Amino acid sequence: MSDQHLLAMHHSEVQVSVELETPDVTLNLGPQHPSTHGVLRLVAKVDGEVINEVEPVIGYMHRGYEKLAEVRTYPQIVALVSRIDWVSGYASEVPLMVAVERLMEIDPPARAQHIRLVLTEMARISSHLVFLSSYPLELGAATPLMHSLRERERVLDLIEMVTGGRFHPNFNRVGGVKPAAGAGSDQKKVVQDLPEGFSQQTLAAMDDVIGVCDDMEDLVLGNEIFVERTRGVGIIPTDLALEYGVSGPNLRASGVMFDIRKTDDYLPYDRFDFDIPTGENGDCFDRYHVRLQEIRQAARIIRQAIETMPEGDLQAKVPRIIKVPKGETYVRAENPKGEMGYHVVSEGGRGPYRLKIRSASFSNLSVLPWLLKGQLVPDVIAILGSLDFVLGDVDR
Amino acid sequence: MTALFDSFWPLLVLKVLVIAAVIPGVALVFIFAELKISAHMQSRIGPYFAGGRWGWAQPLADGLKFMQKEDLVPEDADRPVFKLAPMIVLMGTLAVFVIVPFSPKLIVRDLDVGVFYALAAGSVTTIGVLMAGWSSANKYSLMGGLRAGAQLIAYELPLILAVVGVVIQAGTMSMNGIVAAQIEPVFHLGDFAIRLPFLLQGQVIGFAIFMIAALAELNRTPFDMPIAESELVMGYLTEYSGIRFTMFFLAEYAGMFSMSAIAATLFLGGYYLPGVPAGALDWLGPLILMGKVTLLVFIIIWLRWTFPRLREDQLQSLAWRWLIPLALANIAVTAVAKVVF
Amino acid sequence: MTESPSEVPAAPVAVGIAERYGEMVGALSTSGDFATPRIRVSPESWVDTHRTLKEHLPFFSFLSAIHWSTEVAVGDPPEEEVEERFEVFTRLSDVSKGEGVIISTDISKDDPRLPTLVGVFGGANWHEREAHEMFGIVFDGHPNLELLYLPEGFEGYPLRKTFPLLSREVKPWPGTVDVEDMPSTENVEAGEETGEVEGE
Repeated sequence: MSDQHLLAMHHSEVQVSVELETPDVTLNLGPQHPSTHGVLRLVAKVDGEVINEVEPVIGYMHRGYEKLAEVRTYPQIVALVSRIDWVSGYASEVPLMVAVERLMEIDPPARAQHIRLVLTEMARISSHLVFLSSYPLELGAATPLMHSLRERERVLDLIEMVTGGRFHPNFNRVGGVKPAAGAGSDQKKVVQDLPEGFSQQTLAAMDDVIGVCDDMEDLVLGNEIFVERTRGVGIIPTDLALEYGVSGPNLRASGVMFDIRKTDDYLPYDRFDFDIPTGENGDCFDRYHVRLQEIRQAARIIRQAIETMPEGDLQAKVPRIIKVPKGETYVRAENPKGEMGYHVVSEGGRGPYRLKIRSASFSNLSVLPWLLKGQLVPDVIAILGSLDFVLGDVDR
Repeated sequence: MTALFDSFWPLLVLKVLVIAAVIPGVALVFIFAELKISAHMQSRIGPYFAGGRWGWAQPLADGLKFMQKEDLVPEDADRPVFKLAPMIVLMGTLAVFVIVPFSPKLIVRDLDVGVFYALAAGSVTTIGVLMAGWSSANKYSLMGGLRAGAQLIAYELPLILAVVGVVIQAGTMSMNGIVAAQIEPVFHLGDFAIRLPFLLQGQVIGFAIFMIAALAELNRTPFDMPIAESELVMGYLTEYSGIRFTMFFLAEYAGMFSMSAIAATLFLGGYYLPGVPAGALDWLGPLILMGKVTLLVFIIIWLRWTFPRLREDQLQSLAWRWLIPLALANIAVTAVAKVVF
Repeated sequence: MTESPSEVPAAPVAVGIAERYGEMVGALSTSGDFATPRIRVSPESWVDTHRTLKEHLPFFSFLSAIHWSTEVAVGDPPEEEVEERFEVFTRLSDVSKGEGVIISTDISKDDPRLPTLVGVFGGANWHEREAHEMFGIVFDGHPNLELLYLPEGFEGYPLRKTFPLLSREVKPWPGTVDVEDMPSTENVEAGEETGEVEGE
């Protein structure tokens, strides 16, 4: 049944209820709700099953990052920012470090950049696997959750092997990555590189990750009920997406082939071969499909990066106390959720004068009042889930 | 002793007590089966500690836990309706077991209108669900109750129409009569009589429609929109806790048992298996029936954990635009075939 | 190889981008320092600038503000004196080559007002609400200038430099003192024996 036909049927049903003059019910979805990905509150005016108007209320997780950043030094801020988008912790640290390095005119060594790239792509796989598992759960299928999260554990174990942390690695330093210290009191000062066996385990894990992608493609994308629930639902038109700043897989699902990894060079992506998956319609199905393909591409990048990892230092020579000269710069990165950027305004201090964090989910979510108007209540859950936002990212 | 079995009222009381005791027990077994099967489908183990390594005492433990919970009724709720709703749902489900034939002799009452009675008694649960949704004084429950009401009413029709096909083919509504009709040989190969269950005698579409409609009547995925955990918390069940929740829960699994038992009797031959001598059927029959029921229950559990849920309007359109016309066509073809052959 | 392979976009490229877009809108000044093209416009031409640039740079990234002040309640004050004012800045970019410009304007500190961009870019809605509640800047014509993050009844504008952080009042900032020395930055071959090394 074509989209227009479905829409016409919706409208005709709405007209009938208007004639019967049933008053609207104000339904409060959240802030405690199994499906809203955190503390999001949607105040919806509902007519039967159709939503007339929705107003998202956010700010339940506002932690004041931008103000906190003004009272911290740059290395201390790194520990903060991995908690913005807690599902893909590592990827949020990288653009901040690149911005500081740009202002200080330091070039991190090649090995450090490769390690940053590998860990960022692993964060991307981790974040997308969470999406792949939780989205069918919201639609009612409980089994993909278990299978996807099992593979995610492999990736998180790898990240932990290198950085010591699964979600909040705090692994970046100005000028490179943190040289891992050994264990024991006399080893504290000795630098260690990547742990032994990391390369083999990574390559093996990537095979498993691609295996689970194949499984999900068959079991979820091939499932008729899933297709019925997501095709033609929650279409974001391209011009609306650009106006509202929707970025990342959501934008690519609407047909815009744009990936910051190809256009900006905060990390050496130009040395690797990868495709940019895009969708056709911009509906929920396409968003799922795009993220699934992105996992495959991320695994591809990681394989290439591991095989061509250069030798070298892990951190450039930087002064003990980091003081950044006066200047302003904006660096953005292709985070799993979308475009994440840091606008650093430095007035020569040990910390920024003003740090503006451009988080992807904030812009992705701002399109919600437009998107949910006229949708059915079960579709709200399908659409919310497909935008793949995290409240920490929305609220900072 | 035989005098006991001959006089009407004591026998009836005995049978009712057996039903009331055995069916929840079987439901507990099915609950455990669901926990374990779903776990293994999801690369988990499932219950592990309660009762040793197999965790078989898990449903018992859950039952005991529910029984000692506080009796909560929401302040704004409609108290009598709230308290009555789970009882109606459970009684409606248990009432179906009156006509389930476990063997030619082991049936509570072989009513002449057996199938008709079963469907009618099963429909009483719809009222219980609507009562639950309304009296909970909770917008989510109300929405869940309305969705459930619409769904149950919509899927009653395909259920009944699918059964009509079988009734036409068997020529009787009595459950024992339907099994007897399936015992009759369809044709003979020399001296060897070929007997086929109705499933293989052309009621494939009827069986499919019956199973789909049964899933919808039980509010199980892919038709569990009314409960829709991830959307409406628990739909019409949100405000229920403790024993009242247990009654709904038991009613669901008892309903699975009863629907599977009816399907097994109508379509798969009930307590009969070819090659079993008539005398042995009296004590072998229940085992055969339970075997078929277990197979169908396994399929129902399997479907739950594989599919996402259908949206309400898709659910309705499936019932009204696909199942009912198919069921009507099934009836027409069956009637014609019955007359012609 | 040990030399760094990546290069930031050379400053001339950024300056060129800034000048190109600056010319389109008659900017007051342009700059391309640190690979960040920026143009500065007057508040009166704020909306027209965005309307003109929307055709070339349709992606609305964000809108935010900076409170420039020499006296700060938290953190380090700027090295040199700055004139006290609010600076509102937005970033627009395109989705083919990834070019982007930061457009900024200065407004007065006493009566910070600016016309709203909601008519040009719908996405500015939430960003302007956030700038309003954090800095106190009023956006004329905004349909719904309510608090976005902060709870109802919150008083004050948190991101202004005059707004103190309670935790800093209570306890002084430990600041820059590292509690232990950083490990040596000499490279060690992966897998080489370095005394008692545990694990892999």
